[in-house]
Amino acid sequence: MLTKDEQEKYARQIMLKGFGLTGQEKLKEARVFIAGAGGLGSSSATYLAAAGVGTLRIVDHDKVELSNLNRQVLHWHEDIGKRKVSSARDKLKHLNPQVAVEAIEEKITQANISQLVAGCDLIVDAMDNLPARYLLNKTAIKNNIPFFHGAVYGFEGRAMTVIPGKTACLRCVYRGDVPEETFPVIGVTPAVIGCIQATEVIKYLAGMGQLLANRLLVYDGLNMKFTEFKVKKDPNCPHCGKPAKGKK
Amino acid sequence: MSVTVNLGTGLRRFTNGKTAATVEGNTVGQCLDELVKQFPKIKPRLFDRKGKLRNYIDIYVNKESARPEGLAKPLMDGDEIHITLIIAGG
Repeated sequence: MLTKDEQEKYARQIMLKGFGLTGQEKLKEARVFIAGAGGLGSSSATYLAAAGVGTLRIVDHDKVELSNLNRQVLHWHEDIGKRKVSSARDKLKHLNPQVAVEAIEEKITQANISQLVAGCDLIVDAMDNLPARYLLNKTAIKNNIPFFHGAVYGFEGRAMTVIPGKTACLRCVYRGDVPEETFPVIGVTPAVIGCIQATEVIKYLAGMGQLLANRLLVYDGLNMKFTEFKVKKDPNCPHCGKPAKGKK
Repeated sequence: MSVTVNLGTGLRRFTNGKTAATVEGNTVGQCLDELVKQFPKIKPRLFDRKGKLRNYIDIYVNKESARPEGLAKPLMDGDEIHITLIIAGG
């Protein structure tokens, strides 16, 4: 049930056809897991908090560094040295005090991932390395939790939405690995992709529109082009394929 | 067959910044070989020492995955290939 204050705050989105009070209530009831409080996490969490998602559970084990500030806009100069999850929680609570922020300072690992995502309705992939993304994808499939993938490099970004049991997952699309590295990135790229992830989350929760499912969206900021690739569920996928389910 | 090969952003430093190239070939593999002839420096980024396509490269034909045929996938005149690299930054 929305309060009078909430109805006023969200009036401009409540008036959207197909969204309404029901959509807003669905957002309020949701608990969203945001894996990473970096560039993608900053933009997706900001817009999910502003939209009135009830609970954001943000997990990250890093502290704020000077070199983060060109893109991780939840963290400011005064936050250098602070835990990223604390810095993120403080900004999001200032933006929207009605949103509950669960700030967890932990590294996401095979051992703790199931416990970390327990009770969450969906997962936003805002990580900075592929092994962690694969771990999140596998956990999402195993626990039947929708998974909202995003990744960036330089001026390029990607996004895809995974609905377990129904659509292609990240492992259906990506087979390989890339070395962990200090990657180049300009702040506007995770801003764009994080907002696409937040858009997908809002649509999913409100039950509106067409999700970015079975479609990999590639954003080329330098040439300002969006290209969409059709992707298919792989019956032999090591994460969601039936014959080999459970393998890495 | 004349085919357009679109290059992902991570490959353009090997093609003098070009975003696409026109090549001749009947399969994805032939088109990639032609691409390498035009831009030899791209070869080690696409293939390992044994000539196998690197596992961080994804190929799409007319915006659909080239799997399962991969390099053997036959092409038609006017087809479009996209070569992309997995990215993982956040």
